[in-house]
Amino acid sequence: MFDYTFQWRQAYRHLPRMLEGALVTLEIAVLSLIIGIVIAVLLAVARDSKSIWLRAPATAWVEVARNTPALFQIYMAHFGLGSFGIYLSPYVALLAGIAFNNAGYLCETFRGALRAIPETQTRAGRSLGMGQAQTFRLIVMPQMFRISFLPTTNQMVWAILMTSLGVTVGMATDLTGITQNLNARTFRTFELFAMAAVLYYLIAKAVMLAARLIAWRLFRY
Amino acid sequence: MKPLYLLGAALGLSLSVGAAQADKLDSIISSGTLRCAVTLDFPPMGSRDANNEPIGFDVDYCRDLAAALGVDAEIVDTPFPDRIPALVSGRADVGVASTSDTLERAKTVGFSIPYFAFTNVVLTREGTGIETFEDLQGRDVGSVAGVFEALALEEQMTAWGGGSFRPYQSQADVFLALSQGQIEATVVTSTVASAIVESGNFPNLVIGGDAPFGIDYVGLITLRQEYGLINYLDLFVNQQVRTGRYQELYEKWLGGAVAPDLTVPGVYR
Repeated sequence: MFDYTFQWRQAYRHLPRMLEGALVTLEIAVLSLIIGIVIAVLLAVARDSKSIWLRAPATAWVEVARNTPALFQIYMAHFGLGSFGIYLSPYVALLAGIAFNNAGYLCETFRGALRAIPETQTRAGRSLGMGQAQTFRLIVMPQMFRISFLPTTNQMVWAILMTSLGVTVGMATDLTGITQNLNARTFRTFELFAMAAVLYYLIAKAVMLAARLIAWRLFRY
Repeated sequence: MKPLYLLGAALGLSLSVGAAQADKLDSIISSGTLRCAVTLDFPPMGSRDANNEPIGFDVDYCRDLAAALGVDAEIVDTPFPDRIPALVSGRADVGVASTSDTLERAKTVGFSIPYFAFTNVVLTREGTGIETFEDLQGRDVGSVAGVFEALALEEQMTAWGGGSFRPYQSQADVFLALSQGQIEATVVTSTVASAIVESGNFPNLVIGGDAPFGIDYVGLITLRQEYGLINYLDLFVNQQVRTGRYQELYEKWLGGAVAPDLTVPGVYR
């Protein structure tokens, strides 16, 4: 069975480096979410638009982002574009891959929320003299974010955990990359991976807490 | 009658204690199967043939070891980063996977005496202007995460400053990144370098000089506390050299020349 002596003290010595990696992981996750949310709003609007030229590319994006593995999307951002002579560094490829994925999923979340907002809200805004864009920005969008807040937090956690796929494109500075490197040097696989798991858990909790604080501030009536 | 019962109980007890104390070597022999963790992404040491069957130096080495033990060999395909989990979780008995015997790793696993020795070379693409190891300064380079030459290369890149080092998950990804232009060079074992250049799969790759990393001695690995098995592995490696089988396998998988010397001058092991 499990024939091994755990040496936690040896692994703790590497904690500072793993914390540096955790910071990079957090940074990529947060950036990918911000980019993802911005694109997702545009996609959601485009998918409901009357013009096929807006609807078709948005639908294609969502289809690919939701129906292929995130690993494939990140791999394509690095090696796929690489075969066309476009070189994204592992950091950018990972960020682009996750943002692409986030945008696809969040688009559908937002579209669901848009369905839940009564058409009368828009009409009321327009009859008060607001323009179409103004109505969307000031009346519809805030409600959309409020309705879709809980499903959005799902994607936040998912984005954090997806950063661990960066090792497949040579990412060395995030939490998984650093853990893998330390593992190769010391062979203390179980201790290091257990510590990484705890750190991922804490990052996810921290992001959720921050999101709840922001939501509490923004979405109260 | 009573003493007989006692004798029976004592016998049963001693048998069960005996079973509990059976070491790895015993359990391999009694199970009839030797399970070797071999990395099948590292030609010519380990790879798969057209029928998806494992082949290579390490595969043959495992089969020799199984034959010596009088058991069947089972090859457990194990990527480099998974070698230790495979041993500790009991999925494999012995790692025959070109494992460099660093002191850091020896704190976790038990090494046999070296069974093979590598030297490393720079592998680059045509037109990068890289001709020697020193030319790598300030360049984007990469290698397989966690192997000997990757650790040495990363250390050197950090010491030089500038450029970047990228650890990929497999040798195939490194060659893909190199041939595409994501990285400008890598350092690989000379055996892998010549195998990949000769394969013709990546026609734009060229060898760009030796890497000054010293000789990379690799050992068989097993659980650190399995002295009985480690002792057996040591003798097995010695016998492979003594009987000429080592040279034979070298010629079969790596071509003509004389197999690398496995001893370090001036010191015992």
